[in-house]
Amino acid sequence: MNKLQTSLVIILVLAGAVVGAKFYFAPKKAVINLQMARAKGNPNARVKIVEFIDFQCPACAFGVGYLKTFFDQHPNDLYIQVRYFPLTNMHHHAMISALYSECAARQGKFWALDDQMIPQQQQWAQLISPEPVFQAMASQVGMNIDQLNTCLASDDARKVINDEKSLGQSMGITSTPTYFINGKMVVGTKSLQDELKAYFP
Amino acid sequence: MFTIFRFAIGSLFLISSLGKLLSPYQNFLYVIQAYQLLPSGFEVLTAQVFPWIEFLVGAFVFLGLWTPWALRGAIVLFGIFVFVVGQALLRGLPLENCGCFGEWIHLKPQIVIVMDSLSLVLTFLSLRNYTRAKRFSLDAYFDPK
Repeated sequence: MNKLQTSLVIILVLAGAVVGAKFYFAPKKAVINLQMARAKGNPNARVKIVEFIDFQCPACAFGVGYLKTFFDQHPNDLYIQVRYFPLTNMHHHAMISALYSECAARQGKFWALDDQMIPQQQQWAQLISPEPVFQAMASQVGMNIDQLNTCLASDDARKVINDEKSLGQSMGITSTPTYFINGKMVVGTKSLQDELKAYFP
Repeated sequence: MFTIFRFAIGSLFLISSLGKLLSPYQNFLYVIQAYQLLPSGFEVLTAQVFPWIEFLVGAFVFLGLWTPWALRGAIVLFGIFVFVVGQALLRGLPLENCGCFGEWIHLKPQIVIVMDSLSLVLTFLSLRNYTRAKRFSLDAYFDPK
């Protein structure tokens, strides 16, 4: 075998190995859970979005704001579900903000708290402990504070968050915000905007 | 020495490309978008094609096959990295991580630009000293002179 033939064989073998590995490690598909408290919109909508976010991630805050405006314009055509993907190695308050959100969801106040927490992200992200701010937000949206504190102290809420992050990782998520629009993965708000244009020209 | 440089440069490209190739291309697309340099249409194409170019250049440099051409390819790639990261730093883009190695390794752009510049110099030196860099290579097997 001459050098050129060897080169072609090497290219084919290496490319085949990578394609095989990609197939073997292929990420799981997103599954919509219609019973989830962290969902809003029409469950029969033609566009279903699952968003994996970290509440302290600035790009996620931008994405949440964009999606909120878009949802207000198309309330019957969208179904949105939020999943947790706290980037704890990058954001110190990623886990505690997710915990408050999960505890709010258990009292049916997820979206109300989300509407407080996300627009004020830049302020609480700077704090050493954002908990007093979150407690005040929780009171403001009418959450039962005793139930909230019991929830925060339990391992259950943390487990839900960690399980969702593991699920996200098994779906190939590495950064936030990551969206699954009718099952198709898009990462970042720019790609989200591009993808939504295909459904709402 | 230059053989070690060659293996190191090849390994660098193999690791960085595999991190991207084994992850959904959308993750690398997000990294490309953060640099705000390419038009939208090119971003998707680049996210899908660029890791394969990195992978093949890395494999050929590592194996020492068509080494001078592979090293020239590596110089072009390092030049691109230095330019892309440099312009992002000059423009003050808010990048927490360069995204160069997929999700396997997180490096700040300030560190990466130094690393890429050094690698560029090493690659250039390896090309200048090709006859020494070609030890333990397939080129040496096919062209022993």
